[in-house]
Amino acid sequence: MTQDNYKSMAKYSSPNPCTWCDGCGDYGIWTAVKRACAELELDPSEVLMCFDIGCHGNMSDKVGGCYRFHGLHGRVLPFAAGAKIANPKVNTIAFAGDGATFSEGMNHLVHSVRSNYPIVCLLHNNENYGLTTGQASAVTRQDTPMNSSPNGIPEATLSPMDLVFSLSPTFVARGTSCDIKQLTEIIKEGIQHDGFAYIDVLQSCPTYNKFMTAEFLREHCYAVGSDYDASDFENARRTAIDTSEKIATGVLYHAKDPRPSFVGRLKSRDGKKSSLVEEVEKGDVGGFMQEMV
Amino acid sequence: MSRVSVKIVGASGQGINSIGEILAKALKRSGYFVFGYREYPSLIKGGHASYQLDIASHKITSSKKIVDAVVSLDHHGLSIHLDEINDGGYLIHDMSEWDFGEEEKKKIEAKNIKVILLPTDEIIKELNAPYVVQNVLFTGLLWSAFNQDVSKLKEVVKERFASKPKLIDLNMNCIDKGYEFKSEEEIEIKLPDANKDCSDAMLITGNQAIGLGAVHAGVRMFASYPMTPASSILTYLAEIQNKTGMVIKQAEDEITASQMASASYFMGTRAMTGTSGGGFDLMTETLSMVGIIESPMVFVLAQRPGPATGMPTWTAQGDLLLAVHSGHGEFPRCVMSVSDAEDGFKLTAEAHNIAERFQIPVILLTDKHTAESLFTSEKFDQKSYEIDRGQLVDERDLSEMKAEDRFMITDDGVSPRWVPGQAAPGYNATSYENLPDGTITEDSVPAKEMFDKRMRKMKALKDSLPEPELYGANREPRSADRNEELDILIIGWGSTKNVLVDVLRDLSRQSNKLSSTERQSTSGEVASRLGSSRGSSLEESKIGYLHYSHLWPLKTEKLLELSSKAKKVVIVEGNNQSQLGMLIKQETGLSIEDKILKYDGRPFFYEEILERILNYKF
Repeated sequence: MTQDNYKSMAKYSSPNPCTWCDGCGDYGIWTAVKRACAELELDPSEVLMCFDIGCHGNMSDKVGGCYRFHGLHGRVLPFAAGAKIANPKVNTIAFAGDGATFSEGMNHLVHSVRSNYPIVCLLHNNENYGLTTGQASAVTRQDTPMNSSPNGIPEATLSPMDLVFSLSPTFVARGTSCDIKQLTEIIKEGIQHDGFAYIDVLQSCPTYNKFMTAEFLREHCYAVGSDYDASDFENARRTAIDTSEKIATGVLYHAKDPRPSFVGRLKSRDGKKSSLVEEVEKGDVGGFMQEMV
Repeated sequence: MSRVSVKIVGASGQGINSIGEILAKALKRSGYFVFGYREYPSLIKGGHASYQLDIASHKITSSKKIVDAVVSLDHHGLSIHLDEINDGGYLIHDMSEWDFGEEEKKKIEAKNIKVILLPTDEIIKELNAPYVVQNVLFTGLLWSAFNQDVSKLKEVVKERFASKPKLIDLNMNCIDKGYEFKSEEEIEIKLPDANKDCSDAMLITGNQAIGLGAVHAGVRMFASYPMTPASSILTYLAEIQNKTGMVIKQAEDEITASQMASASYFMGTRAMTGTSGGGFDLMTETLSMVGIIESPMVFVLAQRPGPATGMPTWTAQGDLLLAVHSGHGEFPRCVMSVSDAEDGFKLTAEAHNIAERFQIPVILLTDKHTAESLFTSEKFDQKSYEIDRGQLVDERDLSEMKAEDRFMITDDGVSPRWVPGQAAPGYNATSYENLPDGTITEDSVPAKEMFDKRMRKMKALKDSLPEPELYGANREPRSADRNEELDILIIGWGSTKNVLVDVLRDLSRQSNKLSSTERQSTSGEVASRLGSSRGSSLEESKIGYLHYSHLWPLKTEKLLELSSKAKKVVIVEGNNQSQLGMLIKQETGLSIEDKILKYDGRPFFYEEILERILNYKF
């Protein structure tokens, strides 16, 4: 990292003190995102960070410089998609937690992957609802006593990777909050991808997740090597889903010739150079009225 | 006759809508104003449906309950609609083997109903045509009953089949067969004299008008989820999207639709969503969110009878209090209601100006009766509208902005606004209580300051809204003023206006001293009723209809002035509790005891309102 980049990373800083627990994975993700934007030399005014509700969402005023939106629990994906559609020049990153995304927001995740909105989905996966004091999420491991489920959850645990790969994604990655360098590279590649970039970030939650600690992540995760072919869908799917012994990290799938994004597939926008935000002007409906005569 | 009503009935899928739409267009081009009203069940094939055309030589926006002719394409219609036919009216059908029951025969005889059999089976066999042309035969027959030039009808049908040229000859033959058909009894549905003024007018539904209003206002993104009676805004905007370049998104649910459209608006374009009550319930968390992030947004709420799924394809005005109170917490909002096509165009465009000017959500109500009815409407005025983007910061001033200017505390509550992508300091737009730059706060003093700032917009908004409009009888509509000392003050909102204006127009035409030719154009019914003993007081009485198109915040000054002088105050609403009455009481203490309420899914019919007014005594 050059001195200049450090400077531009400062463009994303905020005077507000962080409010996460000591050892929270959010610190690592927070750093990696700012670093990715800085290294890509993005002008902060062309970055929109959209946050869901949860511990991660409290990042909304702990970054600065760029535009931020902090919405409703589970709803960040449709908002980020609507924002991107209106102005595709703005780099749009949606931050979401496993609690909201795999429960209230499940519908939105499914349709966002399917729609291939050109946004980054940065999923803070700490396997629980932290902000409401440690209830089980849909990805909490079986037999783990949690607040509101002291006997463990009776439901089956959901596999995010299995789900996402079943939806014909164009970009799937996995990182961890303790490898900031790798996560920075993943986020950079995700931002540059013209389609829905799903990035599952395994993050420690020292207060409520005693299982997936930083030590656990360091011990079990490995980065896929330089010989790994991220364009091989079937291999990527197997690699991503199988976490029985080791957990693969890095960009696991990046379609070689991805199908166009939602924005690229809109026939009504063929040949349009401008974006929707540049087109607000009084519309002449004379021709449409004549059709009614 | 000053107005004529014809009702085409049959099973859904038999093509009764195309009879209605084709006749409407041909009539309009022949110099008639028409009003088309559909009744249909919530299913695709089968079930019993109707398309009613009310026809006049002046502007007409209501339906009669008792019609001059029923045209039935199936046998159910023969018994269901007998009671809805005028004395001396027609029942036209094609059930050659049909025997009426004893009761029905008595009714037919008592009311001197002329039953006409059009032998469609025979004609279809003779033409070696498919059965689907049944409705075209009836169209031809009706056209000859109206005594109109057949070439006008053929022109409309040719346009309709322009994309299927192979079918044109067959359809022309069918029109001729229907038109030339001679029954034993002569069929004549006498129309009033034509009025060429409407030849350049449009035939347009309320929802198409809302769609055009959106295009006119510069809306570039419409996200929605299908739900009757809002769906036709989505389908119309989708139909014209390749011409407008608007992004149309059919979302996975109403939550998504409202989030996506709100986000697009947040980014600086204009966007909109549309739904009905159930879908709006899902949008209310977004409504509340838009309230605190102070971003503009327009929600179209098309009403149908609830609760829950209710009666999906029928009309209601039962969601006014929902619109006013929906969403958790307290935040400024504007609620408006469309009443006809012209309103659909004008108020949709205005809603976007209000949303941007005050950076608030606007809920634009409509109802099935406005949304799906066919209006004969002058082409909308495209000159007067100016886009007002409110406090959107000029490009040149962006460099002076600081993040804390975005939600700056101001006297009217409205702060400078700039959007992501613009070269200015980024801010945080958060659903949490926040400081002027969007930093989250839970401190008591700034929390109250920000709350007060947002709520101050309600005062600024209320000051900017127009008072309700008074339509007068014994005057040309729209010219009555607030100093009027009325005998009856009628208050309403939404599609109710259409029937009130029709009734008041006829009452005023009758009670003024009119020339005989003008008198001819007056409703026969009103004329005969006014000629009776009860009519004498009405002849001098002044009746005013006060129409609310802007419902929240509620303007009450004109209402209070008029009601204090009126002998009688009546409220007319398509709901059970008199929801506007409740709002008026809440805001003024005025309790309106005389209520005309209807909540059976049907609109107010012409005779119902006329009857009530004629029965008031002073």
